[in-house]
Amino acid sequence: MLISLDWIKNYLPELRKSAEEIEEALTLIGFEVEGIERRGLVPLQHVVVGEVLEKAQHPNADRLSLCKVNVGTGTPAQIVCGARNFKVGDRVPVALPGAELPGGFVIKKTKLRDVDSEGMMCSARELGMGEDHSGLLILEQRPEIGTPVNEVFPEADTVFDVEVTPNRPDCLSHVGMARELAAFFGLERVSPVMRTAEASLSVSEGEALVDAVEIADAANCKYYSAYSIRGVKIAESPDWLKQRLETIGLRPINNVVDVTNFVLHEMGQPLHAFDAGKIRGRRIIVRAAREGEKITTLDEKARVLQPQHCVIADAERAMVIAGVMGSVDAEVDNSTTDVVLEAAWFHAPSIRKTSRGLILSTDSSYRFERGIDPTGVDVAARRAVDLILELAGGTLCKRVFHEGSCAIEPTVINVSPDFIRERCGFGPDDAGVKRCLEALELEVSETGSGRWQAKVPAFRQDLTRPIDLVEEFLRIHGTVKIPECAVENRAMLRSHAREYTFRREVTAYFRSRGFSEVYNYTLVSADSLKRPGDAEDPHPSLRLQNPISADGTHLRPSLIPGMVEVLRNNRSDGDASGCYFEWGRVYAEVGGQLVECIGLGFAVLDQSDRKSWLARQGVDFFTVKGMVADVLSLAGVTLPDAQYRLLNGCVYGQNGHFAVGGDLRKSPCRVELGMLDLKYTQRADINGRVYAASIAILPQILEKAPKAVRYAPFSHFPPSYKDLALVADAATSAAEVQRSLADAAKAVSGVDIQVERVRLFDVYQGKGLEDNQKSLAFSLTFRAQNETLTDARVNQAFETIQQTIEKRTPFRVRR
Amino acid sequence: MDEQLKEIIERARGQAGEIANRGGFEAFKASFVGPQGSFTALRKQLGTIPKEQRPEYGKRINEAKDQLEAVFAEVNERLEGMELAALIGPAVDPTLPSPDRPVGTVHPLTQILERIVGIFEKVGFTVASGPEVETEFFCFDALNTPPEHPARDLQDTYYMPDSTRFSNVSKHGEERYLLRTHTSSVQIRTMLKEKPPLRILSPGRTFRRDTADATHSANFHQIEGLYVDKGVKVTDLKAMLDHFARELLGKDAKVRFRPHFFPYTEPSFEVDFSAEHLGKVGKKWIEIMGCGMVDPAVFEAVGIDPEVYTGYAFGMGIERIAMIAYGVDDIRYFYQNDQRFLNQFA
Repeated sequence: MLISLDWIKNYLPELRKSAEEIEEALTLIGFEVEGIERRGLVPLQHVVVGEVLEKAQHPNADRLSLCKVNVGTGTPAQIVCGARNFKVGDRVPVALPGAELPGGFVIKKTKLRDVDSEGMMCSARELGMGEDHSGLLILEQRPEIGTPVNEVFPEADTVFDVEVTPNRPDCLSHVGMARELAAFFGLERVSPVMRTAEASLSVSEGEALVDAVEIADAANCKYYSAYSIRGVKIAESPDWLKQRLETIGLRPINNVVDVTNFVLHEMGQPLHAFDAGKIRGRRIIVRAAREGEKITTLDEKARVLQPQHCVIADAERAMVIAGVMGSVDAEVDNSTTDVVLEAAWFHAPSIRKTSRGLILSTDSSYRFERGIDPTGVDVAARRAVDLILELAGGTLCKRVFHEGSCAIEPTVINVSPDFIRERCGFGPDDAGVKRCLEALELEVSETGSGRWQAKVPAFRQDLTRPIDLVEEFLRIHGTVKIPECAVENRAMLRSHAREYTFRREVTAYFRSRGFSEVYNYTLVSADSLKRPGDAEDPHPSLRLQNPISADGTHLRPSLIPGMVEVLRNNRSDGDASGCYFEWGRVYAEVGGQLVECIGLGFAVLDQSDRKSWLARQGVDFFTVKGMVADVLSLAGVTLPDAQYRLLNGCVYGQNGHFAVGGDLRKSPCRVELGMLDLKYTQRADINGRVYAASIAILPQILEKAPKAVRYAPFSHFPPSYKDLALVADAATSAAEVQRSLADAAKAVSGVDIQVERVRLFDVYQGKGLEDNQKSLAFSLTFRAQNETLTDARVNQAFETIQQTIEKRTPFRVRR
Repeated sequence: MDEQLKEIIERARGQAGEIANRGGFEAFKASFVGPQGSFTALRKQLGTIPKEQRPEYGKRINEAKDQLEAVFAEVNERLEGMELAALIGPAVDPTLPSPDRPVGTVHPLTQILERIVGIFEKVGFTVASGPEVETEFFCFDALNTPPEHPARDLQDTYYMPDSTRFSNVSKHGEERYLLRTHTSSVQIRTMLKEKPPLRILSPGRTFRRDTADATHSANFHQIEGLYVDKGVKVTDLKAMLDHFARELLGKDAKVRFRPHFFPYTEPSFEVDFSAEHLGKVGKKWIEIMGCGMVDPAVFEAVGIDPEVYTGYAFGMGIERIAMIAYGVDDIRYFYQNDQRFLNQFA
């Protein structure tokens, strides 16, 4: 919100602070100053409008020109000038000898490079009007030659762009900000003088410009008043009023409309002026809009209304979107002679909904939706009446309509100075605390035994509880006075969330393996989830209700597409590691519901063909699978080999080389891993194979207490090893063969012999086997708990295992 | 006899140098001491020697045997040396570079997060976690944000369709799911689950429906702190943030509280820091975070008695802190993952 310092001084005649001091004060009482602009011109003597008659090269200086300038004295002045942005015929401000410019620079007749110069043509900065020093200030509006420049520009003023937080609608006006500054600086505040006495008005007697005012939508309008002013003369506003409005960025329209805008920015109460001649049927009705009712608002946009919008209507049609904007049909224009002035209190949420729904925010709606001071409605109306009568003439009709009520119960807060000091941890004596509250116009009375009653002024509807007064005290007392204290250090009260320590471990794991951590966005595009050309959305349930752009419409189900993007972005960097990992949430649909999972993704670009003086082995599927197992083990999760299966037809996975492990319906995690589809990575301009994985872990699994460890006695006797190869159908998974063998091994284990381990060490297909067969070789470790095994005992057990396999499984022992 | 022994020893000594491997060594030994070996043959002749000459002969044989074994030992040692040398390989040039990947990098946002957590860990704060998809209750209602508050608008907050159900994000009633706009929702979930005194940090990813530019990102990260106990005061909050500022920016760092408004704290402040080396940002005071005393309405929403407990809360943007700490001028760099950017924080 823009606040004019000059304007504010109307209400704070004793305010003598500099702009910097006021900026600091506003900042420290909770109004962030987002900008300060100096407007207008300080009073200057001997600076007039001049017109350039001639412009020639200076005989002794390349960068200077020699000009003849008409300054209205009859004799053109000869002026040497260094600017280049002007031409003959331009009108510019000219400082004549004797002028003193801002900053104390005095203009004299002088010689520049041996040529006389009788003054200076000025830039905006030289006149103290902003920072523009790129050239002369060209006066495009071509004011009269010789006019003192102060008549061309408004008076100097400082405008603050102040951020007002939503809890402080009372400060959305100059009077409101004046109250705050008065409280902080301890200054006397002066209210505008009212000339229209309340007593001169009547609610029932006398004439008016309308016959009836009716509130038919009491839910959205609590109070509506209408004042009739007959015989006004619409004209341009006087300079002081136009300047006030222009300073805060408003365009003057005419005296009546300008008064309503002035009072809005003076007191924060929006008003509306109707041309009484345009009100049909001499009735004003506050009602809900009809379904599809049309209105053309003052911004010349045709709008279609709905019943949730409240309108001010006459007997026939809507004239105003209540509290938001009027229509072109009822506006005050040059032919207006009779004016009806509206001062009302509309329900804040209703105005907010209307304003948002229509995407139409105005100074009026902004104030109504935050909440106006109900007790100020009539005051603002009388202020506006005063000004209209003063500036546009006319007479106020005796009869005024007041429909509804703007009476509110005053808020009284019971509080003690001790409470305020306790919550702050410091504070002055009772009188000091009281002074702060009274500066804010609260009426504080003592009720005995250290208790106070604080009556809150009606414009401060944000103050309802004792804690609210703590903040008020601090604001006025000054947050800079909060004393330095030591941090009270207590013992650790709880452990870190396991998720956080798990993340630390994972980060350390990947970092130690040469991976770079990356951050990608959680929201992804639908395109990134499907094959080019596919129409169907493969993850409709992950779609947001209200995405802002096509780049981010879905919650991500996997971290792999993001990894590919990272590889793509670094593809031209020959020194890039090609190894990336990411921690972040991923989402999955399980049994018709979504689950939020901890996501862990990583990718490795196979760079085994990269030139190197010493060859190293490349990566493959099992590199990735091993890392997945490592990471899962950090989470306390084991994913058995048997739970992995090939995943063909995945958008980014290479058929036959990409797998999925786990199922979130049954296991605490789900993993996708393997070689990425070569066409997919080629589309991302990546040369070479990419191996990647995306792991989704249910967060709740991390909160499980880790399994308690119990020591089990182990054998001190040496092991014995036996190898055997099993022939299976080529399509059989290794895990299935392994399980059969492990079962058989378990069957022979007993007190005197145990099979400690069954380890697969070779896979063979080819010569000696049929085409559709493969051979898997395993190494078995035998051991006994209490003795050294004899060859005979081992052989016997080994033979039993082989017989079990041959008898009970489809596999054959290769002998 | 002597001649023959002498000849054997000399022959052994002569051939020893030519033996290059274990196979040759075995054949070499066999040619002397094997069943058909020349030395074995001489030993066998011992039986044919007259009895009185036998001691002398035996002595000679033994001397020769020792000499042969010495030759064998020498060869063995030489072969072992060769074998070890083959295992060891030629000497390396220690100035050659390792062809392996160097240690990886940790993202600057993670590093800043760790630094911030580290500062608060020292004074007893620990990390709590919660879901990024939240519900209106935990993100707004419980934080005293009225239903018509603009932050809850479809224009400002991402929502999931009404039909969406999450099996592991609990709801309070029938409210909608949304993407959390701050991590304060974790504070609510923690206060509902754990009893005061509480001292927690809630770092994590947050979302606002903004168009991305140099200072706005499609998602960003926050870290918030919450302290609930009996008798927590404004001076405690100020002391904590003074500590934080000095740890983060150095001993000369200063903290300024500007009164502000947040629905979930009362009083509320925005916090500015100033420090010598922040000068180049161009302003004396730099806005770092928001904070305040927990609003009694928030305590009531989570069933903590505001007459008994008070508390403070603070929150800041991790990207913002990282930008200030590292001098990064565009938030999007954090999400472009350019290796040359990431390597700078290694």
